[in-house]
Parts: sequence; structure tokens; C-alpha cells
Amino acid sequence: MGTLFTTVRDTLRYKGREGQWLWVLHRISGLGILFYLILHVYDMSLAYFNVPVHEQMIALFKTPLFSVLELALAVLLIFHAVNGVRVALLDLRPELWAKQQLATRLALIITVVIAAPTIIIMIIYTINAHLGPVATTIAR
Amino acid sequence: MTTAGSTAVKDAGMYKRSTRPAPPPRNNFERAAWMYMRYSGLVLVFLALSHWGLQHIFNSVQDLTLQSTVNRWGVTGQVANFQIWFWRAYYGLLLGLAMLHGLNGLRQVAYDYMHFRPLYWGFMGLSTLLIIAVSVAGIAALLLGVNIAAAGGAVVR
Repeated sequence: MGTLFTTVRDTLRYKGREGQWLWVLHRISGLGILFYLILHVYDMSLAYFNVPVHEQMIALFKTPLFSVLELALAVLLIFHAVNGVRVALLDLRPELWAKQQLATRLALIITVVIAAPTIIIMIIYTINAHLGPVATTIAR
Repeated sequence: MTTAGSTAVKDAGMYKRSTRPAPPPRNNFERAAWMYMRYSGLVLVFLALSHWGLQHIFNSVQDLTLQSTVNRWGVTGQVANFQIWFWRAYYGLLLGLAMLHGLNGLRQVAYDYMHFRPLYWGFMGLSTLLIIAVSVAGIAALLLGVNIAAAGGAVVR
């Protein structure tokens, strides 16, 4: 508990600017993705080992709560992928190190550019499923 | 005597480094893990994002049925055709690379914050067991196909 407090406090105090915050987000998004990955592979393995439970879990993933979590997962995954490319490219090519700050900003911009349409499409799917087709709703 | 470690950053502009020779690497496991995170990450960008796009953009989770899984995995006892082997390779590679990438990421984070070593080793031991068990189950299910004998609804091969 003390470690957690120190970690949070020092993360807030440390003036590492964009690079530090991308590092923090990379860790958080990685842990979130790993948690879902384990859940997802477990769920899919039940398509052989226990089909009724597998179908119950798929039904659970279609509920509104999980639709919202799915949006969060999309943002985490896209950010982790884009920022991961930044980390890998800069680590493997030291001659690019003078452009660290440009790279951090590009990573954020590319994340938003990919995530925004992704989220819009997913929200439309979700609304269609839970509240009826968007087209019908607008027509009324 | 010069070493590669200290000269690699010489031309990095504003980032001046000490000319003191870099110490020889202490631990080849850490070097391999570092390299693995970068290279597997670059492959996973394509595998994971294409998987995400197929399941969440071009298709919707809302339309997911047992039939969609049967279409790619085949059913238990079926002889796998080229299409089924393609999906086995794609999902198997994605699963293996991602689980190992995630396990090593978890190890790095746990090592940084779990200063009480028995806690770190216990946590990582249990996490490693869980990840291996789930991965083996996932790959087994991928190879065995959907068990339609246990399914309630009608499924077509």
C-alpha cells in the first residue's frame, strides 16, 4: 500500500512531460490488454471445453456494460500499438533520438486519428443492437 | 578501448552521453527479453490490429455466434482444410506472441513495484502458471475445433 502511494505521488511529481505520460499510459494499457487477452483466450477455449459456458460468456460480451468496456479496450489497444511502434523504432534507431518530442506528439495524434473513427463505428453497432437501427431512430 | 554501447549515441544531437565505456551486459536474458518486446511488438501491431478490425469494425461483437467460430475453426473431428489451417496459424501466432509479450510486460511492471521479493516471485509464479494454462487451453481448442456435440443450437459445418 505504501509502495502504491509512493508510486502514484512520485509519478505525479516527476516532470517528465509527454514522454513520461506515454510511458505511464503504455504500462496501464498493456496491463488492461493482458487482462482482457487472458479472459478472451479462456472464453474462446471453452468453445471446445464447455460450449454452454462459452455461449453465456459471448452473451455477456454483448451487454451494454461490456459494449462500453469494448470501447475502452479499443482505445487502449490502438494507443499501445501506436506508442509501441514509437518505442521500438526509437530504441532500434538511435539517430532518431533528437526527435523524441516530435515522436511523442505524433504518437498521440495518430492514436486519436485511428481511435476516433473506430469508436464512432463501434458506437453505431452498439446503438443498433441495443436501441434498434440508428436510421430508424433518426427517421422518427 | 571503445565499446559499441558508448558510441551509438554520439550523433544523437542534444543527448550527450558519458564517454566512459559501457559495462559489458550482465544478463543475456534481459537483453533477449528487451529485443523480444520490440520485435514481437512490431509483428503484433499487424496481427492484433487486423484481428481487432475484423472482429469489431468489419464485423460486430453483437453478430458473433457459435457459427462464426465454426466457420474458422471447424468442428471437432473435422479434417482441417487450408482455410482452417490458415486461421490456426493466424490465431496461434497471435496468441503465442501476445501472451509472451504480456507476460514479460507484467514481469517488468511487477518488478518495479513489488519490492518485497517473495511477493514478486509468488505473484509472477502464479501469473506465469495462469498464462501458460490459458494459452495451452486456447491452442488445444483451436486445434480441436468447436465441440458442436455439446452445442444447443443448430450449427452448419
